[in-house]
Amino acid sequence: MFTNVKRTFRRRDQEVLALDDVSFEVGEKEFVAIVGPSGCGKTTLLRMAAGLDFPTSGSVRVGDREVSGPGPDRAVVFQQFALFPWKTVEENIGFGLRCRGMDADARSRIVASYVELMGLQGYERAYPQQLSGGMQQRVAIARSYALDPDVLLMDEPFGALDAQTRVVMQEELIKLCRVNPRTALFITHSVEEAVYLADRVVVLTRRPGRIREILDIASVRRREGWDTHDRIEEVMDLESFVHLRTRIWRLLRERQEDAAPAGIAVKSA
Amino acid sequence: MHDLKVSAPPAASTGRLRRFWFALAAIVPLLVLWYVLTAVTHTISLGRFPSPEDVFNAARQISRGKGYAGGTMTAQVWQSSKLVLMGFAVAVGTGAPLGLLMGWSRRAEALLNPAFLLVRPIPPLAWIPLAILWFGLGDGAKIFVIWFAAFVPALINSYTGVRNIDPTLVAAARVHGASRLQLVTQVLIPGSMPMIFTGLRLSMQASWTTLVAAELVGAIFGLGHVLIVASLDIYPGMILYAMVWVGIMGALMTKALALLERRAIPWRG
Repeated sequence: MFTNVKRTFRRRDQEVLALDDVSFEVGEKEFVAIVGPSGCGKTTLLRMAAGLDFPTSGSVRVGDREVSGPGPDRAVVFQQFALFPWKTVEENIGFGLRCRGMDADARSRIVASYVELMGLQGYERAYPQQLSGGMQQRVAIARSYALDPDVLLMDEPFGALDAQTRVVMQEELIKLCRVNPRTALFITHSVEEAVYLADRVVVLTRRPGRIREILDIASVRRREGWDTHDRIEEVMDLESFVHLRTRIWRLLRERQEDAAPAGIAVKSA
Repeated sequence: MHDLKVSAPPAASTGRLRRFWFALAAIVPLLVLWYVLTAVTHTISLGRFPSPEDVFNAARQISRGKGYAGGTMTAQVWQSSKLVLMGFAVAVGTGAPLGLLMGWSRRAEALLNPAFLLVRPIPPLAWIPLAILWFGLGDGAKIFVIWFAAFVPALINSYTGVRNIDPTLVAAARVHGASRLQLVTQVLIPGSMPMIFTGLRLSMQASWTTLVAAELVGAIFGLGHVLIVASLDIYPGMILYAMVWVGIMGALMTKALALLERRAIPWRG
């Protein structure tokens, strides 16, 4: 999917290298999470997959097509939900279907099924600002899911939620993915979240973002029977989970310490 | 955790009633003071400011027969209101779409903004002599001048409205498959609706201000014409009565806009 992607930005006549030689692939129906320190370019990677940003060199492909712009085959769930405040819950969920030109009857059937799946019954006619953050993000996830996209792109979707809501949403997302598996690219800065949700975790380094390592979680999950546990805290307590988490933390920290002296020399944040 | 955030229901009815009594408590003494100072103690000479009785007599005179300054008050009010509404409609009909266009398209902004900046510093009233030269003392001149005055706030506010739309919402629309036209109808127009209405309110005020000024300078009919004729006749009662009508009509039209706004922006609580 991503091959030799490089992205530079101009900042006050200076070329800043944001991503350097990033290559990885997301398999069919595979859930890949990208973790990395802030500013490592992980959101840029996702925006490139969405067609909202483009690589300076290298290529981003979905299927066998080069990404040339945004499209409903790659729906995005944003950190700040990005629901249309002037549309009701129903209208927000049905937005993509309406853009596609689907007639009202077919649309309302699909919308109703997602309202039920996401537990939004009774709020169909509410406006987003009348909902809590968790509810808003359910609507946003439903809006993207309803389009039946080839790839689901999620940019720190739970980053703006409080800790408890976040846990509930993580559990629900994993259930949703079991019922309805999708090719998914998930950006997060939470190591636990990545390990809990993903089949594979891509660990990026501090700027310029390079791939530090790609860890296979799915085989561990199957072997250790994580899916037999319903609750996130039970999974997080398993030795195999702790082991993976610690390993990712080490990967993130090693690079941070390497980079620290240079960082201080420039400017202490 | 996920229940509706119900906005606290303030005791709206009692609050409103209390405000009404407060308003009455402020206005009644003023009216009494007016009566006492003009009609009882004659502290204010009737040549400078009318007594309530003078105003009442003026009202009677203008509502009967041939009225005053060319017609009855009903006819004068209708004339002015008609011109305000026509000028307002022309101004808003051109200003708001142009503002949306300039907010949306950098090219349109680059093309139109210089001309706009050139014309904008000229006070609308300065156009009155030219308008009279072109259109005479008839309706055309007033509509033309109102257009200049009310056009600017309509344009600036709808422009700002588009510019203030969260770019993430535009991105969200694009990744869910919105076409350019759908982007305009589903995101840009509803997204700038609150600012468009701010513009409409300011345009309405500007329309009335300008109309009265234009009618003072050159008209054969209308509220401004009543004012100037009454001034030449040294007829304070009629001046005040016409002023009251300008106030009433301005307030009514602003109120109508507010009602329209509530219907057009149902998502704003």
